[in-house]
Amino acid sequence: MSKVTLNDINVSYDGKTQILKGLNLEIGEGELVSLLGPSGCGKTTTLRVIAGFIIPSSGQLFVDTEEMTKVPVHKRNFGLVFQSYALFPHLSVYENVAFGLKLRKMEKAEMDRKIKEILEVCDLTEYALRFPKQLSGGQRQRVALARALVIEPRLLLLDEPLSNLDAKLRLNMRVEIKRLQKKLGITTVFVTHDQEECFSISDKVAVMNGGVIEQFGTPEEIYSRPKTEFVARFIGFENFIQLRKTQENTYRANDGSLFTAKMDCGKSECLGTIRPDDIQIVTNEEAAGNTVTAKIEVRTYLGKSYQYELSTPIGRLVVNDGSGALYKAGDTIKIQLPAAKIVLV
Amino acid sequence: MKKQSTILLIAPITILLVVVLILPLLAVLLPTVFEGGAVTLSRYIAFFQDPYYIKIFVRTLRIALVCTLVCMILGIPTAYFISRVSKKWRGILMSVALFPMLTNSVIRAFAWINILGKNGIVNQILSALHLVDQPLSMLYTEFSVLVGTIYLFLPLMIITLVGVMENIDNDMMEAAESLGASRLLSFVKVILPMSIPGIITGAVLVFTGAMTAYTTPQLLGGPKNMLLSTLIYQRAMTLNDWTGASVVALVMIVTTLIVMKGLNAIAGRLDKRGEN
Repeated sequence: MSKVTLNDINVSYDGKTQILKGLNLEIGEGELVSLLGPSGCGKTTTLRVIAGFIIPSSGQLFVDTEEMTKVPVHKRNFGLVFQSYALFPHLSVYENVAFGLKLRKMEKAEMDRKIKEILEVCDLTEYALRFPKQLSGGQRQRVALARALVIEPRLLLLDEPLSNLDAKLRLNMRVEIKRLQKKLGITTVFVTHDQEECFSISDKVAVMNGGVIEQFGTPEEIYSRPKTEFVARFIGFENFIQLRKTQENTYRANDGSLFTAKMDCGKSECLGTIRPDDIQIVTNEEAAGNTVTAKIEVRTYLGKSYQYELSTPIGRLVVNDGSGALYKAGDTIKIQLPAAKIVLV
Repeated sequence: MKKQSTILLIAPITILLVVVLILPLLAVLLPTVFEGGAVTLSRYIAFFQDPYYIKIFVRTLRIALVCTLVCMILGIPTAYFISRVSKKWRGILMSVALFPMLTNSVIRAFAWINILGKNGIVNQILSALHLVDQPLSMLYTEFSVLVGTIYLFLPLMIITLVGVMENIDNDMMEAAESLGASRLLSFVKVILPMSIPGIITGAVLVFTGAMTAYTTPQLLGGPKNMLLSTLIYQRAMTLNDWTGASVVALVMIVTTLIVMKGLNAIAGRLDKRGEN
């Protein structure tokens, strides 16, 4: 098990565009950490720095206490799984998995035992003699994983490994990767742009934007308490209200109405945000506090609920309502923003 | 209906091939196996019993094979390099690689005469540096034919290989490196085997070209280094022995076909990606 430290990593493209700007990250032993962010945020670059394909212009990479910033890729002993799987088309499944072990000059019987073991673990035993193009997407994915794991790597690096699979297979593979990772206790970095995937699989999540980590924490922390507007938007907070602090826990919106929030934002002006699922449509007149009168602009059917786009005095809001009551475009309704659900950033 | 349209579609090319290729070929080859009304292989047997002809045959085969090998050795790294640079640079480098093909092969051969001749650039440099007392005679040797042929056909190897190699994802190289192979080893163990179809196609093109080239051996080889192609010319035009020329032509065709078949067999053995 290994601990990974990224210390003030800077990467620039052609000397001008900064891709990573003083990135710091600490990954604990045996942890599965996800790098989450939109395309172009630098998550893949970060992974490639760890893998050794990119030498940062400044900063250090440590694995345990050993500095590895400039160690060549082939001497790092990190397992990599690519988005495209990158299986060698001219080699069978068995030979693909054997590739890394052969380079380690391992004894033949020992090698054979290890390969058979990992093929068993990855449920590939019956496909050992097939070639990559004779396999389905899920099977190829498992071969890529087996090939990376069989070398007993110090780290496992996964670059959007599930994005080429269909929805159902993705879910299975997600569970499978998590199971293998925990079983082998291998420190893992997982790059993804899919927040649901990332929350379900990770011990910790680093949300990235513009070459820096905006927030690093457990999935629960990030889900319930995003620290910046970017993080909030990225993980599904769709409603943002400009607020000015008037007194403890009380905030005034632009139209002058007052809202209470459980959270304290620590500055005089902040942005209140709430998920569409957390806003409630109130039907009884007595609902006290944090209510807004809203007009429905658009209604969208989402399956388990309806989504309403509302125009309100405090701005445009989106509500998901699964209560079964049905409103139509043009209706005027009253909504409540529960004080405990408002997050201030 | 579908079958009819297929026949209709392939008819023009079939007719063209029959008229301009197969019929003339038969017209050339049939007289070589008839003697006094009977079918005989005596002319071919005579060809392979004549030490002079055998020498020419072996020389031709040697030059074609060495040329193919050198084109592989020079072409593979060059093509890989070209296939890895950015799109803009790939275009520029491809034009540079293909540049020799833009001029006529006579002119290219003359260029080599100027370079390799007694008063050529190479000899001038060598004597200016006092490395040689007498100018080296490089022209009109097997060496000069080889140089000219390699120069002529290297571009073919490079274009064919770039076409195959640029479709190999960079991930392949990276995956091999991450598994512990140095760059060179990754290239040898992954890129090279994946390029085999291209290498073989390139080799077939270069070999066929080198085997049948006429102008280059004629101008750079001189009369002492005759090849099968120059022999055909001599037989037909100088000696007016058309049947003898046809015999040499068939030997050339069959040799080329055998080597092609051999190369394809090697490709089939090396390139196993599994059937679908």
